Amino acid sequence: MATAVVPPGISLREIGTAGRGVRPDEVVLALSPGFAGFFTKTIVDIPHAEVVRQILAGVEEQGVHARVVQLHATADLAAVAHTGARLSGSGIGIGVLSRGTTMIHQKDLPRLSSLELFPQSPLMTPEIYRAIGRNAAQYAKGDSPQPVPTLNDQMARPRWQAKAALLHLKECELLVKGAPATEVDPVIEDPA
Amino acid sequence: MSLVVGVDIGNSTTEACAARLTGNGIEFLGSGLVPTTGTKGTTANVDGVEAAVRAALRTTRAPLGELARVFVNEATPVISGLAMETITETLITESTMIGHDPRTPGGAGLGVGITVPFAALDECSPGEAVIAVVPAGVDFAVAAKGLEAALERGVGLRGAVLGNDDAVLVANRISRVIPIVDEVRLVDAVPAGMTAAVEVASPGRTIRTLSNAYGIAGLFSLDADQTRAISPVARALTGIRSAVVVRTPSGEVSDRRIPAGTLELRGGSAVLRIDVGEGAEAIMAAVGRVAPLDDASGEAGTNVGGMTAAVKQNMADVCGLEVAQVRIGDLLAVDTFVPQEVRGGLAGEVALENAVALATMVRTSHGPMRQVARAIAERLRREGAPDVEVVIGGVEAEMATRGALTTPGTDRPLVVLDLGGGSTDAALAGADGTVTTVHLAGAGDLVTRLIASELGVERDVAENVKRSPLARAESFFHLRLEDGTVRFFGEPLPPTVFARVVALTEQGLVPIPTRHSVDRVRDVRRTAKQRVFVVNALRALARVAPYRDLRQIGFVVLLGGSALDFEIPELIADALAPYGIVCGTGNVRGSEGPRNAVASGLVLAQGGP
Amino acid sequence: MSSLPYPEAPQPRRSLRTEVLENRPVNKDGFVQEWPEVGMVAMDSDFDPRPSIRIENGRVAEMDGRERADFDFLDQFIADHAIDVDAAVEAMALGPRTVARMLVDPNVSRAEVLRTARGLTPAALLETVRQMNIVEIMMGMQKMRARRTPANQAHCTSARDNPLQVAMEAAEASLRGFSELETTLGVVRYAPLVAIALQVGGQVGRGGRLTQCALEEATELDLGMRGITAYAETISVYGTESVFVDGDDTPWSKAFLAAAYASRGIKMRFTSGTGSEVQMGNAEGRSMLYLEIRCILVTKGAGVQGLQNGSISCIGVPGAVPGGIRAVAAENMIASMLDLECASGNDQSFSHSPMRRTSRLMPQIMAGTDFVCSGYSSTPNYDNMFAGSNVDAEDYDDWNAIQRDYQIDGGLQHVGEPEILAARSRAGYALQAVFAHLDLPAITEREIETAVYAHGSNDLIPRDVLEDLKGAQSVMDRGVTGLDLVKALHERGFADIAENLLTVLRSRVSGDLLQTSAILDANLEPLSAVNDANDYAGPGTGYRPTGERWEQMKRLRHVTSAENPELEVS
Repeated sequence: MATAVVPPGISLREIGTAGRGVRPDEVVLALSPGFAGFFTKTIVDIPHAEVVRQILAGVEEQGVHARVVQLHATADLAAVAHTGARLSGSGIGIGVLSRGTTMIHQKDLPRLSSLELFPQSPLMTPEIYRAIGRNAAQYAKGDSPQPVPTLNDQMARPRWQAKAALLHLKECELLVKGAPATEVDPVIEDPA
Repeated sequence: MSLVVGVDIGNSTTEACAARLTGNGIEFLGSGLVPTTGTKGTTANVDGVEAAVRAALRTTRAPLGELARVFVNEATPVISGLAMETITETLITESTMIGHDPRTPGGAGLGVGITVPFAALDECSPGEAVIAVVPAGVDFAVAAKGLEAALERGVGLRGAVLGNDDAVLVANRISRVIPIVDEVRLVDAVPAGMTAAVEVASPGRTIRTLSNAYGIAGLFSLDADQTRAISPVARALTGIRSAVVVRTPSGEVSDRRIPAGTLELRGGSAVLRIDVGEGAEAIMAAVGRVAPLDDASGEAGTNVGGMTAAVKQNMADVCGLEVAQVRIGDLLAVDTFVPQEVRGGLAGEVALENAVALATMVRTSHGPMRQVARAIAERLRREGAPDVEVVIGGVEAEMATRGALTTPGTDRPLVVLDLGGGSTDAALAGADGTVTTVHLAGAGDLVTRLIASELGVERDVAENVKRSPLARAESFFHLRLEDGTVRFFGEPLPPTVFARVVALTEQGLVPIPTRHSVDRVRDVRRTAKQRVFVVNALRALARVAPYRDLRQIGFVVLLGGSALDFEIPELIADALAPYGIVCGTGNVRGSEGPRNAVASGLVLAQGGP
Repeated sequence: MSSLPYPEAPQPRRSLRTEVLENRPVNKDGFVQEWPEVGMVAMDSDFDPRPSIRIENGRVAEMDGRERADFDFLDQFIADHAIDVDAAVEAMALGPRTVARMLVDPNVSRAEVLRTARGLTPAALLETVRQMNIVEIMMGMQKMRARRTPANQAHCTSARDNPLQVAMEAAEASLRGFSELETTLGVVRYAPLVAIALQVGGQVGRGGRLTQCALEEATELDLGMRGITAYAETISVYGTESVFVDGDDTPWSKAFLAAAYASRGIKMRFTSGTGSEVQMGNAEGRSMLYLEIRCILVTKGAGVQGLQNGSISCIGVPGAVPGGIRAVAAENMIASMLDLECASGNDQSFSHSPMRRTSRLMPQIMAGTDFVCSGYSSTPNYDNMFAGSNVDAEDYDDWNAIQRDYQIDGGLQHVGEPEILAARSRAGYALQAVFAHLDLPAITEREIETAVYAHGSNDLIPRDVLEDLKGAQSVMDRGVTGLDLVKALHERGFADIAENLLTVLRSRVSGDLLQTSAILDANLEPLSAVNDANDYAGPGTGYRPTGERWEQMKRLRHVTSAENPELEVS
């Protein structure tokens, strides 16, 4: 990669302990403990600001409201996404780990299940994050979105498998046992 | 007293009926149903026959060694073919309109102005009425900022056309409400410097001005001739929430008929040629005029030609005949439509194009049944029935009526309607004991094909739609069924069905990948069945009824796989009710349902008069 | 949607050489630093337990510094089922360096090492291999491998799950020398047809190849019991309790499944590998190799004859840390040292660099293992439904040249094109006949013709997937078994293939394939550690390719004739 970029900044302004939403037209975006804090970008260097911005844009374009929460006690994707779903007024939540792995969840589903899962963090793009926001909002509205196509790459293993493990281990170090999820206001530098 | 088995080799199933013939009548022992092995009427059937015979004997533990006779039907191989021809095409020249229906347009209202590329917005003067055209490469924040800057300078921004799915995002970030249409895939092809109108209706409503020819005429000051030319545009924009029309010097939208090849129908008295593009009604009228149909062939090099040739070749292979000896015995044309992308469109607009689906049927009067019978005898003797004889016991249709008449509550005159996969067969058992038969093209396979093309789904999905009622999984704990009732579940439903239209199949809930509502899918399913089974039922009855008068038929008994369908019997019964006909699904021997009629008939034919 | 207009930072000038190096394939591979506290370390960690054992009343009371009361379920299973308490005290007293020397010393027999190894704890095994460099580990493998004759296993899959392709790849793989053939699916419902295809193709020609279809455990067992497949391999075990529990399993549940296979005479092995636990973030602070040794001992304790290990699907993890590939070679060697059949990995896409891909193979191909690859892709990698292998169909000629260069036997040989075309064609016709006999969707002449000459699924005529899936379901519904395949082949004039398949099925009844490292030889006789025990005892002993086999290995696609240098022989 020849061009170095200065990623736009993001800070998560803490509002308080995250509560259960009441609006039926909301989607909750749940972020892992190190997101936009210890970590600033995904495994393939997509800035966290861009991840949040695209997901929120996808939700907004559907005319649906979004709330953002951050978890502190777990970095397990299913747990992060399911917590988001349980806090969401519509029952639809999106979980994102710092390395970029993402899941759309619904509150009535068993934790280990999901509506849509994007397990391969190296293959995520801003367009996929936008589509994830769009689909989550459509589920919240009661529409039937076509699942976002998931990609696969045989050579992702030699390149990314160990780094993904390392990122996961690092994120696990940031866990604070028993700490409740907090509601946050993502302050993103406007690229325009 | 001898042990006998009647065997009916069908296209997809082989059925058997075991009985003892005693001095004073017939004692039925049991039945068997197995998949047919190989093509009906060929020696490959032997494996299936053996299995069916064993299954029928197993129910009462009658020993194979005692088996005296096996009766098989004179199987007439029926082979069917399907083809579909699109006969219209919508064409847009010079990008006059963008009529697609993005899920989320932004803003609301109607705006008219000159199209300006986003990059040239800075050059517009205050007061100028413009429509901004934003390419897909521009981020929504950048786009909103650019549009807002133009508004602040006093430019008369009346609307916007976007490449990305960003309309709501942009609308939320500018200070004035203007109509914004997005997801225009080929936005770069929208011509600059032309007068254009953008209209977005509020949620739940459809556009009013651009879907009205006089509305467009008013906006662009068109004269009568120009209005006539633009009217297809208005028609194409009916019923959608957002649209763009660009006034270009020679742009137009046209509905074009595609030459689809001709069909030659040869009857006893006449030969007719008809263009498939004329539609199903015209084709069926022609078929009626030449009736009875002797043969049909399609123009070489067209889909229709390919299909008729393939059906004939297939039959020739099965029966060891020359292709030239094979005749198409019936043909059913059905009007349908196929969603197709509009040629020349800029946003992946889809138009429902007209199409004609054709089913054809070929049959021969003499299958190589004697060989099959010999092979069955050899096999059964080898397998432990040393004294068995295999007899060709009678004509299929006659046997079917005999079996059907064992349905409690029936009497002559009675028509058996056998609803299969490839063909619909009818046989009339007249009051005087005569039997009249007819084989018609078009049955379950054609229904599947119509559902698949009209919904734009794969064949396996269409198969599930055809066979099962629908529902929508509104939450993880309840389904709304197609009749409006609700079914609750204690355990959460699988995530694959959540928020989707599902088919309630015997194997469980199968999601139907479609954007259509339950009502729409149900409508397509039911009209497909109407167009094939109801139409064929009426055609068949008209062909066999005494004096072609349906009122002369007292009873209609439905047999075959499709008689087990959850709604086809009801659709046919409804259609026949006005003729005073009693119509229902058969119940052979009062116990077998719509199965085993021919096999039972074969046995009855031996014991009875 | 394009990326955002971020400002670009200025770049320092780079040398042209750096640019060349930067663009080498190896720099697409991922490398990470060690982090032993969380288990991101191959085999040298201060956080692994130290070896110890205490036996009380004929039971292990303490193991590797942990009292029985503190055992997790893996400790308990290993202590009660894998360690021979009668051998333990003496073996542990020898110390790791002595045991390591026994492994490389030609004067110490394989049997003697086995007697010692059965008394060693996980930490003692780890300490032993930590004494050994890669060449010593290879020497250990050469001696400890269970079967005297090395062999190889192929992956036969199709990106379109095309049964015809799988049948032909199986026939070609058999001809090229693979003893076991494994398949898996993209669309799982296709499994019955693809498993049938693999079984039929594997019996073409000399036949007697053992086949496997990797699926979820219940279906895999069902296909095995019906005789549509001959062995099973994808029964995974893990080195920490938390990972085991995440998969709703225990060592006992795995042992139960193993017993289900054994009850029907079906060959099976477990699967494990370094890196899986740390990959899931549950390494409990132990090194990758320590945890893998626990897996090997669980396998031993479950009474299973063999193990597929060598990191397998987690190879990117040990591959990225220092000394990782040495640890992977060590895990194979330890499996052999515990008298287990070892299918030694080399089966997953490992590196972008051709040099690293080759070097990855060396410890196993040079020392010889029971199956050098536990999946060599017999198709181009784009068709490999195990997410790609370290070596694929395009590497055949390289592999054969390496065998010839070193006179080492990796199980394969060069085969001329006419023979391959004949085998592929025969497999195609045999499968066509079986499908016709079982009333499954027809295979046309044109499909066969196209597939015989194809390289991969991109070259094939697509099948009617819907019809195939209906057929696949009917195979399950009708209860079709391996014997039905034999009947179909026999009645349709493929008596030789039918005979081969019947022999494979018969060997299940005799239980011959339950012996350690069993395969079938050219006469379809079982060849296992029982009748082909490894007798390596230093230079001049043990297996080495000689005679007819060596002559076979000397052939390549292009070899200039000595008799007439204007000609090539092949």
